[in-house]
Amino acid sequence: MKAILIVHNIASDLVTSVWTPIFVGLFIAIVIYALWPRNQAVFDQASRMPLRED
Amino acid sequence: MQQTQSTKWMTHGEAGLMLFFAMAAFVCAFAAAKALDAPFAFHASLAAVASGVASFAIMNRYLDRPASLPPEEISGKPNYNLGPIKFASFMAMFWGIAGFAVGLLIASQLAWPLLNLDLPWTSFGRLRPLHTSAVIFAFGGNVLIATSFYVVQRTCRTRLVGDLAPWFVVLGYNFFIVIAGTGYLLGVTQSKEYAEPEWYADLWLTIVWVVYLVVFVMTLVKRKEPHIFVANWFYLAFIVTIAVLHLGNNLALPVSLLGSKSYIAWAGVQDAMFQWWYGHNAVGFFLTAGFLAIMYYFIPKRAERPVYSYRLSIIHFWSLIFLYIWAGPHHLHYTALPDWTQTLGMTFSVMLWMPSWGGMINGLMTLSGAWDKLRTDPVLRMLVVSVAFYGMSTFEGPLMSIKVVNSLSHYTDWTIGHVHSGALGWVGFVSFGALYCLVPWLWGRKELYSLKLVNWHFWISTIGIVLYISAMWVSGILQGLMWRAYTSLGFLEYSFIETVEAMHPFYVIRAAGGALFLIGALIMAYNLWMTVRASEADVGTELALQAAE
Repeated sequence: MKAILIVHNIASDLVTSVWTPIFVGLFIAIVIYALWPRNQAVFDQASRMPLRED
Repeated sequence: MQQTQSTKWMTHGEAGLMLFFAMAAFVCAFAAAKALDAPFAFHASLAAVASGVASFAIMNRYLDRPASLPPEEISGKPNYNLGPIKFASFMAMFWGIAGFAVGLLIASQLAWPLLNLDLPWTSFGRLRPLHTSAVIFAFGGNVLIATSFYVVQRTCRTRLVGDLAPWFVVLGYNFFIVIAGTGYLLGVTQSKEYAEPEWYADLWLTIVWVVYLVVFVMTLVKRKEPHIFVANWFYLAFIVTIAVLHLGNNLALPVSLLGSKSYIAWAGVQDAMFQWWYGHNAVGFFLTAGFLAIMYYFIPKRAERPVYSYRLSIIHFWSLIFLYIWAGPHHLHYTALPDWTQTLGMTFSVMLWMPSWGGMINGLMTLSGAWDKLRTDPVLRMLVVSVAFYGMSTFEGPLMSIKVVNSLSHYTDWTIGHVHSGALGWVGFVSFGALYCLVPWLWGRKELYSLKLVNWHFWISTIGIVLYISAMWVSGILQGLMWRAYTSLGFLEYSFIETVEAMHPFYVIRAAGGALFLIGALIMAYNLWMTVRASEADVGTELALQAAE
């Protein structure tokens, strides 16, 4: 039982200490990618994808 | 017919699936004979018959087909696989009408309890999950499978992966619906809202869903376009998350492999939390992410305008993904769930305002430069009004997740009103719009049989929705206020039955709203049927008549 508790504590510490900054960092990186001026051309093309006919 | 040199062979898929279904037919027939309860025997018999038919159908299809499988491309153009999409579109319309009709029946049962007929099979308790599953999973699910298979092919400019696999997905999914729906009527349920089907139906859905995921992902992998269009991201999130939710909330141990009853692995408040983690994300990823994918493809296509802001669509997608998964605890305010968890759920629900409204603005603004089309194109109007309803219900949802508001709204008809402004207004209308676009494209018609009928559908259904949701708002708030009213001596002012009595007129109005919504769907079914049936010449005369008027 004790071993389970120790594993649980390590796991929950990991979750709170590692995943929160990783997810926040990942999200910020995505926002930077989306707003990066040089990507504008690709996004302009992508926004017209439904309109293309074969 | 061109004679091919090569000898005709069954593919591994054909041979494997044929054997699998042949064996499944025997196993299911055995299970039916040995079943511990009647509903399980019935379902096992259904599965045995379906497996046998599937096995024969695969053989027949093999015998009828040419030696080589359909080509990937025909004269340089992708040879899109439309058969399974046509089937799913047809089933969507069928289940939609069935689901709306059962909805009208149970709404009428609430207004006039006599309609329960005093029979177990027709009682509200059994028909209610039949209604919710029919509209969400049967109607909504078929719309999502149909549109996702269409959009992924068109935006990747490649044929759907697999020969039998796409058929396995659409037929297997609809078989799951039949098992789930008949089970409810026979009293088979694991009593989890929106996850009522028992263990064997859940296992079957897991197999179907994994194949769906594989077909979708492998089609993305062999795409001819370098960029993966945003709608596909939403579809993928929908498929992956539903898989995870389905597995988490259905970890059950059957009492016997030959009986329908099972027990869930979780107990007490953990079970409640798992259930609403599942339940709210079914809203978030089935009813939101999946249908947002429809919005991002069908609105630009119909309006002939590019997506308003592609940047916003990326931020919209990822913020929705990161936030939605935490919102579930708002279903358990003021329960045994730890207080901090309730507050966490509330906070994330309030934060969801941002991506929801970001998405709504993106959908609406896609019409910039094409607003005039709203006057002439009722299909586009339907799609745009659906986005407006999306904005309304995603404004209301976070509001209702705030604990103080929830203390009034929870357990009242306000919740039902909220759900239906999202379900009828957003999911219903965006699906109708998508089907109105899809059917002429799939069957190679220039236009729908009649845009005039679409207009009628739009207005009748819109009036129906307004009647429905306003009746439920008034009824819900009235109910909540009556429940919490005290006399000067500190006694409850109203007995429960008095609050039930006060609901009656609103239940009648709600049923009237539901009837209008059903009538609209029947008009739609007629219109789509005539679109498929009509030859090009008929469509031409109809258009000419409209122009002359």
